[in-house]
Amino acid sequence: MVYTPYDWNQAVGQRTEYIEERIRDGSPVVGISLPEGALLVTVHQTQRKVYEIYDRIMFGGIGNQSDLETARNAAIDFAHREGFQRSPDDVTLQRLVGSALSPAIKRAFADPFNVPFVFRGLFVELADRREEDSFGWINYDGEYAFHHDFCVIAGSLEAENEVTRLLHAAAPGVSTLEGGVRLALEGWATGKIQARRRIDDETEGERREDPATALRDALSTGTLEAALLERGTRRESKFRLLKPAETEAAAAEYR
Amino acid sequence: MGRAVWPAPAGGFRELVGDPLRPVETGSRGAAAGAVPAALDTHGTTVIAVKYRDGVLNVGDRRATANMAIMFDRAEKVIALDDYTLIAISGSFARAMEIVRYLKHAFKYYSRTQLQEMSLDGKVSEVSRAIAGNLPMALQGIGAFIPIVSAYDPRTNEGRIFFYDGMGARFETAEFGAAGSGSERIRGAFDYIIRTKAPFREMPLDDALRECLVLLDIAADLDAATGGYAKVLPVAKTITVEGVSEISAEEMQEAVGSLPGGR
Repeated sequence: MVYTPYDWNQAVGQRTEYIEERIRDGSPVVGISLPEGALLVTVHQTQRKVYEIYDRIMFGGIGNQSDLETARNAAIDFAHREGFQRSPDDVTLQRLVGSALSPAIKRAFADPFNVPFVFRGLFVELADRREEDSFGWINYDGEYAFHHDFCVIAGSLEAENEVTRLLHAAAPGVSTLEGGVRLALEGWATGKIQARRRIDDETEGERREDPATALRDALSTGTLEAALLERGTRRESKFRLLKPAETEAAAAEYR
Repeated sequence: MGRAVWPAPAGGFRELVGDPLRPVETGSRGAAAGAVPAALDTHGTTVIAVKYRDGVLNVGDRRATANMAIMFDRAEKVIALDDYTLIAISGSFARAMEIVRYLKHAFKYYSRTQLQEMSLDGKVSEVSRAIAGNLPMALQGIGAFIPIVSAYDPRTNEGRIFFYDGMGARFETAEFGAAGSGSERIRGAFDYIIRTKAPFREMPLDDALRECLVLLDIAADLDAATGGYAKVLPVAKTITVEGVSEISAEEMQEAVGSLPGGR
């Protein structure tokens, strides 16, 4: 059988469609940089979605859980190997996302004889100062981008743009952990609705959904998950999952 | 990141980095047949761990020596491996620091890949393996080190102290542990304090710290390789249910100042 450029093009298109269909209903992960540290917030149903990768790096993802695990473990392996053989200071988001993960994910995506990664990831690197915190967005095809201040991954790029607009306007004014969780939840609901709306557009027409209602629905069956890389802590580990008591004030109105 | 061959992670950091605990080849055939000069190997002494009312206190002097030379008087010998584990090192500084780096990464690697903390038993066993793996070097007369490991055990809600021999055998102590060249000189003094004053585990932190500083000063009087507190303040760290915490220079200065003859 001859494999033509047309076949390759079509295969890439089909793979893109295959992946996007599967991540579209994923639960967004919203990252916001705060004076206290870098925050990741999502709502999960069963499995955890936010993880510690290295001393100053954490990760949240949407997609197939086993693919998230593969990406997570690859990131942990790279970070610990480099951190031990060189220095923890040499483990940076640039190297992790740009040099280690992106080419490998791109190879997997472009290989027509393997099942592609159903995955979109958000890595966060804590710096000494809020404005220097980094967010590394990486897509299932290996594309990646770095941001400061805030970042989001959601079920569709349109949904991410919608949340980005919201965060762009509101994130600079947030200075407390509670405010950060509240804004992140708002962003989460916006992303969830926007991604869902696209599905509805294609099937039964546009349906307006209220973010508060979407959050209330999600929190009635799911679990609010928030993790912080703490800037000022003296603990060995800067990563910690926030306790329910720390997020309750922000989530109370949706209970 | 090939999917077909990607192994399920078991949390083993040693496999990931290619056994960093293997002995360094020196080309020597042991001390009797051309030993490595002792001046090549910088040593750290003396470290102390005692239980106190709220957990475990570790105190170490700051001196590092190579043969008769004082190489460094700001050596850090009490190091946090994670938020609930301290290691106090004595012996070969180079080898100890490399193994401490390994242990820190190994414990964190395990907890991050497995999404659960390594058990305390798993941690102290890993230290045993590190010491045992270092034995060929120690037999060549270089690179020997002996640590004390202290931890807060969340299952029993108490501080625990483990000490080791040169082959990696571990022993748990009820009250105190000490390692390094000055430790043997003061061993009986620990028992004297326990019998005549109070068990360390019943002491508040201030009292335990003062006793440790006196012990360290006695070790410095009797052992040339131990620095004491006269010139450079020792380092002291605690582990409690809240985790690892360092006693500040100001608090240390205050404790030294309260001792008879203290500055």
